[in-house]
Amino acid sequence: MGDKSNRTMNVLIVGVGGQGVIMVSKVLAQLCQADGHDVKQSEVHGMAKRGGGVFSHVRFGPKVWSPTIPEGEVDILVALEWAEGLRWLKHLKPDTGTFIADCQKIVPPFACRNRKRGAEPAYAPQTPEEIIEQVHAGYVMDATGMAANLGNARASNTVLLGALSTVLDFPEEAWVEIIAATVPAKSVEANRAAFAEGRAWAMGGEKRIDVTASGLHKAHSEMHHPQVDTILEITEEWCKGCDICVKMCPERCLRLNDLLKAELALPDLCTGCQLCAWLCPDQAIRVTNIPVTEAAE
Amino acid sequence: MKDTADATAFDVNDWIRQDQMPHFLCPGCGHGIALRALVWALHEQGIDKDKLAVVSGIGCSGRLSAYIDANTFHTTHGRPLTFATGLKLARPDLTVVVITGDGDCLAIGGNHLIHAARRNLDITCVMLNNEIYGMTGGQVSPTTSGGRYTSTTPMGNSEPTFDACALATAAGAGFVGREVTMQVLALRDLLKQALAHPGFSFVEVLSDCTEIYGRKNDLGASPEMMLAKKSEMRPFAYRNTVDVPFRPNHLRTGVIARNDRPEYGAAYRTMAAGLHGEKGDA
Repeated sequence: MGDKSNRTMNVLIVGVGGQGVIMVSKVLAQLCQADGHDVKQSEVHGMAKRGGGVFSHVRFGPKVWSPTIPEGEVDILVALEWAEGLRWLKHLKPDTGTFIADCQKIVPPFACRNRKRGAEPAYAPQTPEEIIEQVHAGYVMDATGMAANLGNARASNTVLLGALSTVLDFPEEAWVEIIAATVPAKSVEANRAAFAEGRAWAMGGEKRIDVTASGLHKAHSEMHHPQVDTILEITEEWCKGCDICVKMCPERCLRLNDLLKAELALPDLCTGCQLCAWLCPDQAIRVTNIPVTEAAE
Repeated sequence: MKDTADATAFDVNDWIRQDQMPHFLCPGCGHGIALRALVWALHEQGIDKDKLAVVSGIGCSGRLSAYIDANTFHTTHGRPLTFATGLKLARPDLTVVVITGDGDCLAIGGNHLIHAARRNLDITCVMLNNEIYGMTGGQVSPTTSGGRYTSTTPMGNSEPTFDACALATAAGAGFVGREVTMQVLALRDLLKQALAHPGFSFVEVLSDCTEIYGRKNDLGASPEMMLAKKSEMRPFAYRNTVDVPFRPNHLRTGVIARNDRPEYGAAYRTMAAGLHGEKGDA
Protein backbone atom coordinates (compact mmCIF):
# COMPACT_ATOMS: atom_id res chain seq x y z
CA MET A 1 0.00 0.00 0.00
CA GLY A 2 0.98 3.64 -0.27
CA ASP A 3 2.36 3.09 -3.76
CA LYS A 4 1.93 5.88 -6.26
CA SER A 5 -0.57 4.00 -8.35
CA ASN A 6 -3.52 5.64 -10.05
CA ARG A 7 -5.69 4.57 -7.16
CA THR A 8 -6.91 7.03 -4.52
CA MET A 9 -5.86 6.12 -0.97
CA ASN A 10 -8.53 6.65 1.69
CA VAL A 11 -7.57 7.21 5.30
CA LEU A 12 -10.21 7.77 7.96
CA ILE A 13 -9.13 9.13 11.32
CA VAL A 14 -11.64 8.96 14.17
CA GLY A 15 -11.57 9.76 17.85
CA VAL A 16 -12.97 11.87 20.62
CA GLY A 17 -12.78 15.66 20.80
CA GLY A 18 -9.52 16.82 22.33
CA GLN A 19 -7.49 13.74 21.40
CA GLY A 20 -5.81 15.19 18.31
CA VAL A 21 -7.73 13.72 15.37
CA ILE A 22 -7.33 16.93 13.40
CA MET A 23 -3.59 17.06 14.10
CA VAL A 24 -3.14 13.54 12.74
CA SER A 25 -5.09 14.33 9.58
CA LYS A 26 -3.26 17.62 9.14
CA VAL A 27 0.13 15.91 9.31
CA LEU A 28 -0.98 13.24 6.86
CA ALA A 29 -2.52 15.73 4.42
CA GLN A 30 0.55 17.97 4.42
CA LEU A 31 2.83 15.00 3.95
CA CYS A 32 0.86 13.78 0.96
CA GLN A 33 0.76 17.26 -0.51
CA ALA A 34 4.53 17.65 -0.13
CA ASP A 35 4.93 14.32 -1.87
CA GLY A 36 3.07 15.63 -4.92
CA HIS A 37 -0.33 13.99 -4.42
CA ASP A 38 -3.67 15.63 -4.90
CA VAL A 39 -5.18 15.72 -1.38
CA LYS A 40 -8.66 16.33 -0.06
CA GLN A 41 -9.39 16.43 3.65
CA SER A 42 -12.72 16.98 5.35
CA GLU A 43 -13.69 16.73 8.96
CA VAL A 44 -16.46 17.10 11.48
CA HIS A 45 -15.43 18.83 14.64
CA GLY A 46 -16.36 21.87 16.68
CA MET A 47 -19.85 20.85 17.73
CA ALA A 48 -18.33 17.82 19.42
CA LYS A 49 -16.03 19.96 21.56
CA ARG A 50 -14.12 17.94 24.11
CA GLY A 51 -15.65 14.53 24.64
CA GLY A 52 -17.74 14.20 21.50
CA GLY A 53 -17.03 12.18 18.41
CA VAL A 54 -14.67 13.65 15.79
CA PHE A 55 -13.78 12.19 12.42
CA SER A 56 -11.61 13.30 9.53
CA HIS A 57 -11.42 11.95 5.99
CA VAL A 58 -8.08 12.19 4.16
CA ARG A 59 -7.99 11.14 0.49
CA PHE A 60 -4.92 11.35 -1.67
CA GLY A 61 -3.85 10.15 -5.09
CA PRO A 62 -3.11 11.48 -8.60
CA LYS A 63 -6.53 13.12 -8.73
CA VAL A 64 -9.13 13.20 -5.94
CA TRP A 65 -12.68 14.19 -6.83
CA SER A 66 -14.78 13.80 -3.72
CA PRO A 67 -13.65 14.94 -0.25
CA THR A 68 -15.48 12.15 1.59
CA ILE A 69 -14.92 8.43 1.58
CA PRO A 70 -17.85 6.11 0.75
CA GLU A 71 -18.76 3.33 3.17
CA GLY A 72 -16.59 0.26 2.72
CA GLU A 73 -13.88 2.16 0.83
CA VAL A 74 -11.51 3.06 3.68
CA ASP A 75 -8.00 1.70 3.22
CA ILE A 76 -6.72 2.67 6.66
CA LEU A 77 -8.85 3.41 9.69
CA VAL A 78 -6.99 5.16 12.51
CA ALA A 79 -8.98 5.17 15.76
CA LEU A 80 -7.77 7.25 18.67
CA GLU A 81 -10.44 5.72 20.86
CA TRP A 82 -11.64 2.12 20.90
CA ALA A 83 -15.43 2.54 20.62
CA GLU A 84 -15.08 5.25 18.00
CA GLY A 85 -12.97 2.78 16.00
CA LEU A 86 -15.70 0.15 16.25
CA ARG A 87 -18.32 2.71 15.22
CA TRP A 88 -16.50 3.33 11.91
CA LEU A 89 -15.32 -0.23 11.33
CA LYS A 90 -17.92 -0.94 8.64
CA HIS A 91 -16.38 1.83 6.52
CA LEU A 92 -13.19 -0.21 6.24
CA LYS A 93 -12.51 -2.18 3.05
CA PRO A 94 -13.47 -5.75 3.98
CA ASP A 95 -10.58 -7.53 2.25
CA THR A 96 -7.64 -5.12 2.27
CA GLY A 97 -8.35 -2.55 4.99
CA THR A 98 -5.98 -1.85 7.84
CA PHE A 99 -7.28 -1.02 11.29
CA ILE A 100 -5.04 0.92 13.70
CA ALA A 101 -6.55 1.62 17.11
CA ASP A 102 -5.72 2.83 20.56
CA CYS A 103 -7.32 0.52 23.11
CA GLN A 104 -8.03 3.28 25.61
CA LYS A 105 -11.64 3.69 26.68
CA ILE A 106 -13.29 7.07 26.92
CA VAL A 107 -16.74 6.24 28.24
CA PRO A 108 -19.26 8.75 26.89
CA PRO A 109 -22.06 10.10 29.08
CA PHE A 110 -24.76 8.37 27.07
CA ALA A 111 -23.18 5.03 27.92
CA CYS A 112 -23.89 5.78 31.59
CA ARG A 113 -27.68 5.76 31.40
CA ASN A 114 -27.93 3.57 34.45
CA ARG A 115 -27.05 5.99 37.23
CA LYS A 116 -26.89 3.38 39.95
CA ARG A 117 -23.58 3.23 41.69
CA GLY A 118 -21.34 0.54 40.31
CA ALA A 119 -23.56 0.02 37.28
CA GLU A 120 -21.75 -1.28 34.22
CA PRO A 121 -21.66 1.40 31.50
CA ALA A 122 -23.08 0.38 28.13
CA TYR A 123 -19.66 0.51 26.47
CA ALA A 124 -18.66 -1.57 23.46
CA PRO A 125 -18.09 -5.11 24.77
CA GLN A 126 -16.01 -6.34 21.81
CA THR A 127 -12.46 -7.46 22.59
CA PRO A 128 -9.47 -6.61 20.38
CA GLU A 129 -9.09 -10.31 19.51
CA GLU A 130 -12.61 -10.46 18.06
CA ILE A 131 -12.08 -7.34 15.98
CA ILE A 132 -8.64 -8.29 14.67
CA GLU A 133 -10.20 -11.50 13.32
CA GLN A 134 -12.54 -9.45 11.12
CA VAL A 135 -9.98 -7.22 9.44
CA HIS A 136 -7.26 -7.81 6.89
CA ALA A 137 -4.55 -6.15 8.96
CA GLY A 138 -4.90 -4.69 12.41
CA TYR A 139 -2.94 -3.06 15.14
CA VAL A 140 -4.48 -2.57 18.56
CA MET A 141 -2.09 -0.77 20.81
CA ASP A 142 -2.07 1.06 24.10
CA ALA A 143 -0.95 4.32 22.50
CA THR A 144 -2.00 6.42 25.46
CA GLY A 145 -0.07 4.17 27.81
CA MET A 146 3.01 4.25 25.57
CA ALA A 147 2.84 8.04 25.34
CA ALA A 148 2.37 8.30 29.11
CA ASN A 149 5.47 6.15 29.62
CA LEU A 150 7.37 8.62 27.45
CA GLY A 151 6.19 11.45 29.65
CA ASN A 152 3.07 12.91 28.04
CA ALA A 153 -0.13 10.93 27.48
CA ARG A 154 -1.38 13.62 25.13
CA ALA A 155 1.15 12.48 22.52
CA SER A 156 -0.89 9.29 21.95
CA ASN A 157 -1.99 10.59 18.55
CA THR A 158 1.67 10.79 17.46
CA VAL A 159 2.22 7.20 18.61
CA LEU A 160 -0.60 6.21 16.27
CA LEU A 161 0.98 8.30 13.52
CA GLY A 162 4.11 6.21 14.05
CA ALA A 163 2.08 3.05 13.55
CA LEU A 164 0.37 4.59 10.50
CA SER A 165 3.76 5.45 8.98
CA THR A 166 4.63 1.76 8.68
CA VAL A 167 1.58 1.15 6.50
CA LEU A 168 2.11 4.08 4.13
CA ASP A 169 5.10 4.38 1.85
CA PHE A 170 6.67 7.67 2.87
CA PRO A 171 10.19 8.08 4.23
CA GLU A 172 10.48 8.35 8.00
CA GLU A 173 12.35 11.68 7.81
CA ALA A 174 9.47 13.27 5.91
CA TRP A 175 7.01 12.26 8.63
CA VAL A 176 9.21 13.62 11.42
CA GLU A 177 9.77 16.87 9.53
CA ILE A 178 6.05 17.51 9.07
CA ILE A 179 5.26 16.60 12.69
CA ALA A 180 7.97 18.96 13.94
CA ALA A 181 6.51 21.74 11.79
CA THR A 182 2.94 21.08 13.01
CA VAL A 183 3.25 20.67 16.79
CA PRO A 184 4.17 23.51 19.18
CA ALA A 185 7.93 24.07 19.44
CA LYS A 186 8.14 22.98 23.08
CA SER A 187 6.66 19.53 22.39
CA VAL A 188 8.67 18.66 19.26
CA GLU A 189 11.03 16.32 21.13
CA ALA A 190 8.19 14.53 22.94
CA ASN A 191 6.38 13.99 19.63
CA ARG A 192 9.55 12.77 17.94
CA ALA A 193 10.01 10.15 20.66
CA ALA A 194 6.32 9.17 20.51
CA PHE A 195 6.48 8.76 16.73
CA ALA A 196 9.58 6.56 16.95
CA GLU A 197 7.92 4.42 19.65
CA GLY A 198 4.77 3.87 17.62
CA ARG A 199 6.72 3.10 14.44
CA ALA A 200 8.98 0.61 16.17
CA TRP A 201 6.00 -1.12 17.77
CA ALA A 202 4.06 -1.48 14.50
CA MET A 203 7.08 -2.93 12.72
CA GLY A 204 6.49 -6.05 14.83
CA GLY A 205 3.85 -7.66 12.57
CA GLU A 206 0.73 -7.24 10.48
CA LYS A 207 -1.74 -8.25 13.15
CA ARG A 208 -0.62 -7.16 16.53
CA ILE A 209 -2.43 -6.68 19.81
CA ASP A 210 -0.64 -5.18 22.75
CA VAL A 211 -3.01 -4.12 25.47
CA THR A 212 -1.81 -3.23 28.92
CA ALA A 213 -3.69 -3.43 32.20
CA SER A 214 -4.51 0.24 32.12
CA GLY A 215 -6.24 -0.02 28.78
CA LEU A 216 -9.22 -1.92 27.46
CA HIS A 217 -9.22 -4.82 29.85
CA LYS A 218 -9.12 -2.90 33.07
CA ALA A 219 -11.60 -4.56 35.35
CA HIS A 220 -14.72 -2.53 35.80
CA SER A 221 -14.64 -2.77 39.59
CA GLU A 222 -11.26 -1.06 39.69
CA MET A 223 -12.53 1.97 37.83
CA HIS A 224 -15.84 2.64 39.54
CA HIS A 225 -17.63 2.75 42.84
CA PRO A 226 -18.51 -0.65 44.23
CA GLN A 227 -22.04 -1.75 43.58
CA VAL A 228 -24.48 -1.04 46.40
CA ASP A 229 -27.83 -2.27 47.61
CA THR A 230 -29.99 0.69 48.54
CA ILE A 231 -32.55 0.61 51.31
CA LEU A 232 -34.86 3.62 51.52
CA GLU A 233 -36.93 3.84 54.68
CA ILE A 234 -39.61 6.45 55.27
CA THR A 235 -40.91 7.16 58.76
CA GLU A 236 -44.57 7.78 57.94
CA GLU A 237 -45.42 9.36 61.28
CA TRP A 238 -42.85 12.09 60.69
CA CYS A 239 -43.64 12.83 57.05
CA LYS A 240 -45.80 15.89 56.52
CA GLY A 241 -46.24 15.50 52.77
CA CYS A 242 -44.39 18.65 51.77
CA ASP A 243 -43.58 17.20 48.32
CA ILE A 244 -39.88 18.22 48.44
CA CYS A 245 -38.53 14.67 48.04
CA VAL A 246 -41.02 13.89 45.26
CA LYS A 247 -40.10 16.96 43.24
CA MET A 248 -36.35 16.89 43.90
CA CYS A 249 -35.67 13.19 43.26
CA PRO A 250 -33.53 13.03 40.09
CA GLU A 251 -35.02 9.64 39.20
CA ARG A 252 -38.65 10.57 40.04
CA CYS A 253 -39.04 7.38 42.01
CA LEU A 254 -41.00 8.79 44.96
CA ARG A 255 -44.64 9.84 45.20
CA LEU A 256 -47.21 10.99 47.74
CA ASN A 257 -49.83 8.40 48.60
CA ASP A 258 -53.51 8.96 49.40
CA LEU A 259 -52.66 10.03 52.95
CA LEU A 260 -50.13 12.59 51.58
CA LYS A 261 -47.21 10.58 52.90
CA ALA A 262 -44.14 10.03 50.76
CA GLU A 263 -43.56 6.51 49.52
CA LEU A 264 -41.08 4.81 47.25
CA ALA A 265 -43.16 4.11 44.15
CA LEU A 266 -40.44 2.82 41.84
CA PRO A 267 -37.75 1.17 43.97
CA ASP A 268 -35.92 -0.14 40.90
CA LEU A 269 -35.10 3.39 39.78
CA CYS A 270 -33.65 4.51 43.13
CA THR A 271 -29.91 5.03 42.81
CA GLY A 272 -29.27 5.70 46.49
CA CYS A 273 -28.14 9.26 45.87
CA GLN A 274 -29.58 10.35 49.25
CA LEU A 275 -30.83 13.71 47.98
CA CYS A 276 -34.31 13.06 49.39
CA ALA A 277 -32.88 12.29 52.81
CA TRP A 278 -30.75 15.43 52.78
CA LEU A 279 -33.63 17.69 51.76
CA CYS A 280 -36.33 16.17 53.98
CA PRO A 281 -37.20 18.87 56.53
CA ASP A 282 -38.89 16.26 58.70
CA GLN A 283 -35.90 13.88 58.84
CA ALA A 284 -38.36 11.19 57.76
CA ILE A 285 -36.25 9.56 55.02
CA ARG A 286 -33.30 7.33 55.64
CA VAL A 287 -31.19 5.94 52.80
CA THR A 288 -28.77 3.11 53.49
CA ASN A 289 -26.28 2.01 50.87
CA ILE A 290 -24.78 -1.36 51.61
CA PRO A 291 -21.86 -2.34 49.37
CA VAL A 292 -22.50 -5.61 47.57
CA THR A 293 -19.80 -8.05 48.60
CA GLU A 294 -18.45 -10.86 46.47
CA ALA A 295 -19.81 -13.41 48.92
CA ALA A 296 -23.35 -12.03 48.69
CA GLU A 297 -23.32 -12.44 44.93
CA MET B 1 -20.15 10.30 49.78
CA LYS B 2 -19.93 7.85 52.60
CA ASP B 3 -21.77 4.60 52.75
CA THR B 4 -24.21 4.61 55.59
CA ALA B 5 -23.19 1.08 56.49
CA ASP B 6 -20.07 2.71 57.88
CA ALA B 7 -20.40 2.99 61.66
CA THR B 8 -18.86 6.48 61.77
CA ALA B 9 -21.18 7.77 59.04
CA PHE B 10 -23.69 10.44 59.90
CA ASP B 11 -27.16 9.38 60.92
CA VAL B 12 -29.48 12.21 61.82
CA ASN B 13 -31.36 9.97 64.24
CA ASP B 14 -28.31 9.88 66.51
CA TRP B 15 -28.55 13.64 66.92
CA ILE B 16 -32.25 14.36 67.32
CA ARG B 17 -34.52 13.67 70.28
CA GLN B 18 -36.70 10.85 69.01
CA ASP B 19 -39.44 11.47 71.59
CA GLN B 20 -39.88 15.05 70.34
CA MET B 21 -40.44 14.03 66.74
CA PRO B 22 -42.26 14.76 64.52
CA HIS B 23 -41.28 18.38 65.01
CA PHE B 24 -43.73 21.24 65.12
CA LEU B 25 -42.55 22.95 61.90
CA CYS B 26 -44.98 23.32 59.02
CA PRO B 27 -44.73 20.99 56.00
CA GLY B 28 -41.81 22.01 53.79
CA CYS B 29 -40.24 24.45 56.26
CA GLY B 30 -36.61 25.08 55.37
CA HIS B 31 -35.64 25.13 59.04
CA GLY B 32 -35.84 21.33 59.10
CA ILE B 33 -33.20 21.10 56.37
CA ALA B 34 -31.03 23.61 58.21
CA LEU B 35 -31.38 21.49 61.36
CA ARG B 36 -30.06 18.47 59.54
CA ALA B 37 -27.18 20.42 58.01
CA LEU B 38 -26.26 21.80 61.44
CA VAL B 39 -26.17 18.46 63.23
CA TRP B 40 -24.34 16.96 60.26
CA ALA B 41 -21.67 19.66 60.53
CA LEU B 42 -21.44 19.06 64.29
CA HIS B 43 -21.04 15.34 63.64
CA GLU B 44 -18.35 15.83 61.01
CA GLN B 45 -16.46 18.25 63.26
CA GLY B 46 -16.36 15.45 65.83
CA ILE B 47 -18.01 17.53 68.53
CA ASP B 48 -19.01 15.62 71.64
CA LYS B 49 -22.71 16.01 72.51
CA ASP B 50 -21.83 16.49 76.19
CA LYS B 51 -19.53 19.38 75.28
CA LEU B 52 -22.07 21.05 73.03
CA ALA B 53 -24.48 23.76 74.10
CA VAL B 54 -27.19 24.88 71.68
CA VAL B 55 -28.82 28.15 72.65
CA SER B 56 -31.86 29.48 70.84
CA GLY B 57 -34.28 32.38 71.11
CA ILE B 58 -37.94 32.66 70.30
CA GLY B 59 -39.65 31.94 67.02
CA CYS B 60 -39.82 29.03 64.64
CA SER B 61 -36.03 28.83 64.70
CA GLY B 62 -36.01 28.98 68.50
CA ARG B 63 -37.76 25.65 68.71
CA LEU B 64 -35.00 23.84 66.85
CA SER B 65 -32.82 23.53 69.96
CA ALA B 66 -35.51 21.31 71.47
CA TYR B 67 -34.90 18.71 68.78
CA ILE B 68 -31.12 18.47 69.08
CA ASP B 69 -29.95 15.78 71.46
CA ALA B 70 -27.36 17.88 73.33
CA ASN B 71 -27.30 20.49 76.08
CA THR B 72 -29.92 22.90 74.85
CA PHE B 73 -31.18 26.19 76.15
CA HIS B 74 -34.36 27.90 74.93
CA THR B 75 -34.00 31.52 76.01
CA THR B 76 -35.91 34.79 75.84
CA HIS B 77 -36.76 36.66 72.67
CA GLY B 78 -33.75 38.22 70.96
CA ARG B 79 -31.33 37.26 73.72
CA PRO B 80 -29.79 33.90 72.76
CA LEU B 81 -26.47 35.63 72.01
CA THR B 82 -26.35 37.21 75.47
CA PHE B 83 -27.05 33.91 77.21
CA ALA B 84 -24.50 32.25 74.97
CA THR B 85 -21.90 34.91 75.77
CA GLY B 86 -22.28 34.26 79.49
CA LEU B 87 -22.21 30.53 78.95
CA LYS B 88 -19.08 30.65 76.83
CA LEU B 89 -17.23 32.92 79.27
CA ALA B 90 -18.12 30.68 82.22
CA ARG B 91 -17.51 27.41 80.38
CA PRO B 92 -14.89 27.97 77.65
CA ASP B 93 -14.64 24.19 77.16
CA LEU B 94 -18.11 24.08 75.60
CA THR B 95 -18.86 24.49 71.92
CA VAL B 96 -21.62 27.08 71.91
CA VAL B 97 -23.98 27.22 68.95
CA VAL B 98 -26.73 29.81 68.75
CA ILE B 99 -29.78 29.17 66.57
CA THR B 100 -31.73 32.31 65.92
CA GLY B 101 -34.12 33.74 63.37
CA ASP B 102 -34.21 36.92 61.36
CA GLY B 103 -36.60 38.72 63.72
CA ASP B 104 -34.95 37.29 66.81
CA CYS B 105 -31.46 38.22 65.67
CA LEU B 106 -31.92 41.45 63.73
CA ALA B 107 -34.99 43.14 65.21
CA ILE B 108 -35.49 42.21 68.85
CA GLY B 109 -31.88 41.12 69.29
CA GLY B 110 -30.17 43.35 66.74
CA ASN B 111 -28.32 45.17 69.48
CA HIS B 112 -26.97 41.90 70.87
CA LEU B 113 -25.83 40.71 67.46
CA ILE B 114 -23.62 43.74 66.82
CA HIS B 115 -22.08 43.54 70.28
CA ALA B 116 -21.51 39.80 70.04
CA ALA B 117 -19.77 40.43 66.71
CA ARG B 118 -17.81 43.31 68.22
CA ARG B 119 -16.54 41.17 71.13
CA ASN B 120 -15.62 38.30 68.81
CA LEU B 121 -16.23 35.59 71.38
CA ASP B 122 -15.95 32.03 70.08
CA ILE B 123 -19.64 31.40 69.38
CA THR B 124 -21.24 30.07 66.20
CA CYS B 125 -24.41 31.96 65.40
CA VAL B 126 -26.73 30.35 62.85
CA MET B 127 -29.39 32.78 61.70
CA LEU B 128 -32.29 31.16 59.87
CA ASN B 129 -33.68 33.85 57.61
CA ASN B 130 -37.19 33.10 56.34
CA GLU B 131 -38.00 36.78 55.78
CA ILE B 132 -41.01 36.72 58.11
CA TYR B 133 -42.20 36.26 61.69
CA GLY B 134 -43.72 32.89 61.06
CA MET B 135 -44.74 31.75 64.53
CA THR B 136 -46.63 34.90 65.50
CA GLY B 137 -48.76 35.04 62.37
CA GLY B 138 -46.67 36.40 59.54
CA GLN B 139 -45.66 39.95 60.42
CA VAL B 140 -43.05 41.87 58.44
CA SER B 141 -39.46 41.28 59.56
CA PRO B 142 -36.27 43.31 58.97
CA THR B 143 -35.30 40.99 56.12
CA THR B 144 -38.62 40.84 54.26
CA SER B 145 -37.94 41.62 50.61
CA GLY B 146 -39.33 44.76 49.04
CA GLY B 147 -42.91 44.55 47.81
CA ARG B 148 -43.70 41.31 49.65
CA TYR B 149 -47.04 40.87 51.37
CA THR B 150 -47.20 39.97 55.04
CA SER B 151 -50.02 40.29 57.56
CA THR B 152 -48.72 43.74 58.58
CA THR B 153 -47.88 44.91 55.06
CA PRO B 154 -51.12 44.24 53.16
CA MET B 155 -50.08 46.71 50.46
CA GLY B 156 -46.61 45.23 50.07
CA ASN B 157 -43.48 45.89 52.09
CA SER B 158 -41.96 49.30 51.37
CA GLU B 159 -39.24 49.22 54.04
CA PRO B 160 -35.62 48.68 53.02
CA THR B 161 -34.24 45.28 54.05
CA PHE B 162 -31.30 44.37 56.21
CA ASP B 163 -28.29 42.57 54.75
CA ALA B 164 -27.45 40.55 57.85
CA CYS B 165 -24.05 39.43 56.58
CA ALA B 166 -22.99 43.00 55.80
CA LEU B 167 -24.14 44.01 59.28
CA ALA B 168 -22.16 41.24 60.98
CA THR B 169 -19.08 41.96 58.85
CA ALA B 170 -19.22 45.66 59.66
CA ALA B 171 -19.65 44.91 63.38
CA GLY B 172 -16.47 42.81 63.28
CA ALA B 173 -17.56 39.17 63.19
CA GLY B 174 -14.66 36.79 62.64
CA PHE B 175 -16.40 34.62 60.07
CA VAL B 176 -19.44 35.50 57.98
CA GLY B 177 -21.17 33.21 55.51
CA ARG B 178 -24.48 32.67 53.79
CA GLU B 179 -26.06 29.65 52.13
CA VAL B 180 -29.45 28.44 50.90
CA THR B 181 -31.13 25.33 52.29
CA MET B 182 -31.29 23.73 48.87
CA GLN B 183 -27.48 23.34 48.89
CA VAL B 184 -27.36 20.99 51.86
CA LEU B 185 -23.76 19.89 51.39
CA ALA B 186 -22.49 23.42 50.84
CA LEU B 187 -24.42 24.55 53.90
CA ARG B 188 -22.92 21.73 55.94
CA ASP B 189 -19.42 22.62 54.80
CA LEU B 190 -20.00 26.31 55.53
CA LEU B 191 -21.22 25.42 59.04
CA LYS B 192 -18.17 23.21 59.52
CA GLN B 193 -15.91 26.14 58.67
CA ALA B 194 -17.90 28.39 61.00
CA LEU B 195 -17.60 25.87 63.84
CA ALA B 196 -13.87 25.56 63.25
CA HIS B 197 -13.31 29.32 63.26
CA PRO B 198 -11.89 30.59 66.58
CA GLY B 199 -14.05 33.68 67.01
CA PHE B 200 -17.58 34.88 66.41
CA SER B 201 -18.95 33.06 63.36
CA PHE B 202 -22.15 34.23 61.75
CA VAL B 203 -23.94 32.07 59.19
CA GLU B 204 -27.10 33.24 57.51
CA VAL B 205 -29.22 30.37 56.22
CA LEU B 206 -31.78 31.46 53.64
CA SER B 207 -34.71 29.33 54.64
CA ASP B 208 -38.24 29.15 53.29
CA CYS B 209 -41.49 29.88 55.08
CA THR B 210 -43.84 27.98 52.81
CA GLU B 211 -47.06 28.13 54.78
CA ILE B 212 -47.19 31.86 55.48
CA TYR B 213 -44.68 33.78 53.36
CA GLY B 214 -45.06 31.52 50.36
CA ARG B 215 -48.83 31.49 50.59
CA LYS B 216 -49.23 35.26 51.05
CA ASN B 217 -46.91 36.00 48.15
CA ASP B 218 -48.03 33.16 45.88
CA LEU B 219 -44.55 31.67 45.64
CA GLY B 220 -45.70 28.11 45.13
CA ALA B 221 -45.01 25.03 47.24
CA SER B 222 -41.73 24.41 49.04
CA PRO B 223 -39.89 22.74 46.11
CA GLU B 224 -40.62 25.75 43.90
CA MET B 225 -39.57 28.19 46.63
CA MET B 226 -36.32 26.31 47.23
CA LEU B 227 -35.44 26.16 43.56
CA ALA B 228 -36.30 29.84 43.03
CA LYS B 229 -34.12 30.85 45.96
CA LYS B 230 -31.27 28.70 44.72
CA SER B 231 -31.43 30.20 41.23
CA GLU B 232 -31.37 33.75 42.62
CA MET B 233 -28.19 33.24 44.59
CA ARG B 234 -24.66 33.64 43.29
CA PRO B 235 -21.52 32.34 44.98
CA PHE B 236 -19.51 35.11 46.60
CA ALA B 237 -16.55 34.07 44.46
CA TYR B 238 -18.41 35.40 41.40
CA ARG B 239 -19.05 38.85 42.90
CA ASN B 240 -16.89 40.64 40.34
CA THR B 241 -18.51 39.06 37.32
CA VAL B 242 -21.10 40.95 35.36
CA ASP B 243 -24.59 40.81 36.83
CA VAL B 244 -27.04 39.27 34.45
CA PRO B 245 -30.04 41.63 34.31
CA PHE B 246 -32.77 39.03 34.24
CA ARG B 247 -31.36 37.21 37.24
CA PRO B 248 -31.08 39.43 40.29
CA ASN B 249 -28.09 38.42 42.31
CA HIS B 250 -27.88 40.90 45.08
CA LEU B 251 -27.35 38.21 47.67
CA ARG B 252 -24.16 36.18 47.69
CA THR B 253 -23.60 32.73 49.11
CA GLY B 254 -20.49 31.13 50.51
CA VAL B 255 -17.89 32.62 52.80
CA ILE B 256 -18.52 36.38 52.76
CA ALA B 257 -15.84 37.60 55.16
CA ARG B 258 -13.06 36.41 57.43
CA ASN B 259 -11.57 38.66 60.03
CA ASP B 260 -8.78 37.30 62.21
CA ARG B 261 -9.27 39.60 65.18
CA PRO B 262 -8.23 38.45 68.67
CA GLU B 263 -10.83 36.23 70.31
CA TYR B 264 -12.43 37.86 73.35
CA GLY B 265 -12.61 34.81 75.65
CA ALA B 266 -8.85 34.35 75.69
CA ALA B 267 -8.24 38.02 76.47
CA TYR B 268 -10.87 37.86 79.22
CA ARG B 269 -9.30 34.82 80.85
CA THR B 270 -5.82 36.35 80.69
CA MET B 271 -7.16 39.39 82.46
CA ALA B 272 -9.03 37.28 85.02
CA ALA B 273 -5.92 35.16 85.72
CA GLY B 274 -3.93 38.34 86.27
CA LEU B 275 -6.44 39.54 88.86
CA HIS B 276 -6.27 36.22 90.67
CA GLY B 277 -2.48 36.52 90.73
CA GLU B 278 -2.58 40.02 92.25
CA LYS B 279 -4.95 38.97 95.01
CA GLY B 280 -2.90 35.84 95.67
CA ASP B 281 -6.04 33.79 95.18
CA ALA B 282 -5.37 30.10 94.70
